Amino acid sequence: MSAAGILVGYTANGAGADALAVASRLAAAADAPLEVVMVLPSEAGNSSVPADAGYERHLRAQSREWLAEASTHLGADVASKLHLRYAESFAEGLIDAAHEFDARLIVIGTARGGLLGRSRIGSVANELLHSSDVPVLLAPSGSRELPAAQGITRITAAVGTRPGADALLESAIRLARATSAPLRLLSLVPIDLPAGLDADLAALTSSVHAEEVLDEARQALPEGIEATVETATGETIEDAVRALDWHQGELVLVGSSRLAAPRHLFLGSTAAKMLRELPAPMIVVPRTTRS
Amino acid sequence: MSQQPSNPAPLTEATRAVDSSDHGITKKGLSAGSVGLIGAIVIGISCIAPAYTLTAALGPTVSEVGTQVPAIILLGFIPMLLVAFGYRELNRRMPDSGTSFTWATRAFGPWIGWMAGWGLVAATILVLSNLAGIAVDFLFLLISQVVGNPEIAGIAANPFVNVVVCLLFMLGATMISYRDMRTTQKLQYWLVGFQVAVLVLFSVAALVEVANGNAFDATPIELSWFNPFAVSDFSALAAGLSLSIFIFWGWDVTLTMNEETKGAEKTPGRAATLSVLIIVSLYLLISVSLISFAGVGTGEYGLGNPDIQDNVFFALAGPVLGPLAVLVSLAVLTSSASSLQSTFVSPARTLLAMGHYGALPPKFAQVSPRFFTPGYATIVSAVVASVFYAVMRFVSENVLWDTITALGMMICFYYGITAFAAVWFFRRTWFRSVREFFFTLLFPLVGGVILSVLFVTTLVDSMDPDYGSGSNIGGVGLVFILGMVVLLTGVVIMIQQAIKRPAFFRGEVLSRASAD
Repeated sequence: MSAAGILVGYTANGAGADALAVASRLAAAADAPLEVVMVLPSEAGNSSVPADAGYERHLRAQSREWLAEASTHLGADVASKLHLRYAESFAEGLIDAAHEFDARLIVIGTARGGLLGRSRIGSVANELLHSSDVPVLLAPSGSRELPAAQGITRITAAVGTRPGADALLESAIRLARATSAPLRLLSLVPIDLPAGLDADLAALTSSVHAEEVLDEARQALPEGIEATVETATGETIEDAVRALDWHQGELVLVGSSRLAAPRHLFLGSTAAKMLRELPAPMIVVPRTTRS
Repeated sequence: MSQQPSNPAPLTEATRAVDSSDHGITKKGLSAGSVGLIGAIVIGISCIAPAYTLTAALGPTVSEVGTQVPAIILLGFIPMLLVAFGYRELNRRMPDSGTSFTWATRAFGPWIGWMAGWGLVAATILVLSNLAGIAVDFLFLLISQVVGNPEIAGIAANPFVNVVVCLLFMLGATMISYRDMRTTQKLQYWLVGFQVAVLVLFSVAALVEVANGNAFDATPIELSWFNPFAVSDFSALAAGLSLSIFIFWGWDVTLTMNEETKGAEKTPGRAATLSVLIIVSLYLLISVSLISFAGVGTGEYGLGNPDIQDNVFFALAGPVLGPLAVLVSLAVLTSSASSLQSTFVSPARTLLAMGHYGALPPKFAQVSPRFFTPGYATIVSAVVASVFYAVMRFVSENVLWDTITALGMMICFYYGITAFAAVWFFRRTWFRSVREFFFTLLFPLVGGVILSVLFVTTLVDSMDPDYGSGSNIGGVGLVFILGMVVLLTGVVIMIQQAIKRPAFFRGEVLSRASAD
């Protein structure tokens, strides 16, 4: 389990620090090695600006310095390696690196600008979510403020009954087991109901559905894993997410959109709305994980 | 949190090694055959931006040397080539983003090095403001051609509108540079191809009009146009040459792309040769055809008419191409736009190096952690270029013309220092081989001497109030004042920095060195 590492897409700014903080918290809790990767722009295919070997060297030295600086913030209990990679885009470089190190998770920070410290999807996250075949963790801005000792206090999986939930559940179980954190299964069913439906009826349907989810998920749970079930109610997804309680040390798992190509990520509208509201890091899991 | 006794993790200090993964670099990074022959030629042509360069430089050059423009173009290439050889040798031995600044510091110490860096930054900032100024003219021309209302093209002459639009252009270019947004290779190929095709079309159309007897001032082509000795006096020759150095400026990048071109042995040389052949042929074709079409007189469309000299394509596109003139506007606009980015890079990288080595405040050394560009230096360059353009637009009668002339002077200044730096840096290896004798002593030395002579001659001549466009302040030519203000500002800032940051100026950061 702990052989596969956690890959951090690091940048020497707030978003990078957020990503590093969440990743090292998770790595410490799960005893997983950390691969800290900086992706520099590759000059291949660049035809607008003449390449300059001197500037290239300067960037490399600067990036090494940034990485070394970043590593001082890592706790001694986390095994980590630092890497520089070149790619035409940050996302492409991270996916390549994830394959290279056989990482099971890519961690990035989200761009600042979300209201009240919540996340907004930056262009990198967006590209990554459209093309990654490895689960992606989005660290909300401000994650770096949390003490490392916080650990991982709970794993929440936003489960539905549609395709994709199996892989999601599997990931959540593995994560809960690795981090020894309690598991919470969250039903997002009412949110999937068509708009304009009677609220009471919706609530009733959802609680019925939540039971189904619980049964189904419980049957799937292996020995020794306990799970609580909660149903999110609210007229909008945003309301529903706000109504729930969230731990500071929580991790939230969502499945990628049904529109995504098999084994690739794509953030559905529900997940995108959740992300805007969530105060906790969110992991987007592909419909079928890489074998 | 679970404990694992066998956890390695001793590496928390800042010295923790970074796995630089050389295979990653060779696979994806700079050195692995990224730019082929055509790619290198395209970058070279795109950096020179022939459509922009010629519309800006043809008029001023005609005003200096009359019909001998083709001769000056051919002659002007020689010092450029000679210096480029020295530049290439330095780049090979000491690749550094500070280029001229770093090399001159290594060869001649911090003071001269600082001024060489300043010269480069000043020259590129001058060209940035000129580039944006030309783009504004053609934007309005393009709009007027598209909507069929000739009056719109005149709006560009309103200084307030002009400055505001120009600043918007700069803002856009700054953002593109800061975020390192790149056009795809395919698009870049199309842009450069389009630019060259339109220039050829423009020239051929002019020649056809001459043959049909529809030319404005048909002037029979003579062999003497190619004879530099037919130029009236040495001052005119020097002024013309310093302008023609500007038109080849940027070509040297094809020579220094040796590191990243496929088949590094032969490609850079071939790319440089081919791109310069294309460029020289284009320049000769256009200058001959336009002189033959419009003459060098001072009539409405004559190339000697001071009202059109700062931007000749702007005036001549209509008479030559009629309804197709819109193509010329598009070509100049795309040419300016695509060279804006490569132009922005060089002052920013030099300022970054100066900040890095402690010759300027450390802020200049900041690299954007997200886009890996010299963020602070890019923004400073943009602000200075914008302020410079805005001030000049109101001070000068002919801002584009005067900036181009002052620019030629600045290029001679810092290129000259660079050439001498090459000679001096390689002083111990001059006679090691025939190749080293030519490339590290003879070529850069001759190139440097030519550029120094041009610099001094232009400087002295430009004191004349009638020099260039004829703008003057208190009876002293504006170009001279411009050149002096730029250089003396450099000296003042240098002294101020030397007091604040003495380490660099004591040679403690970058020590003198020589190749051995």
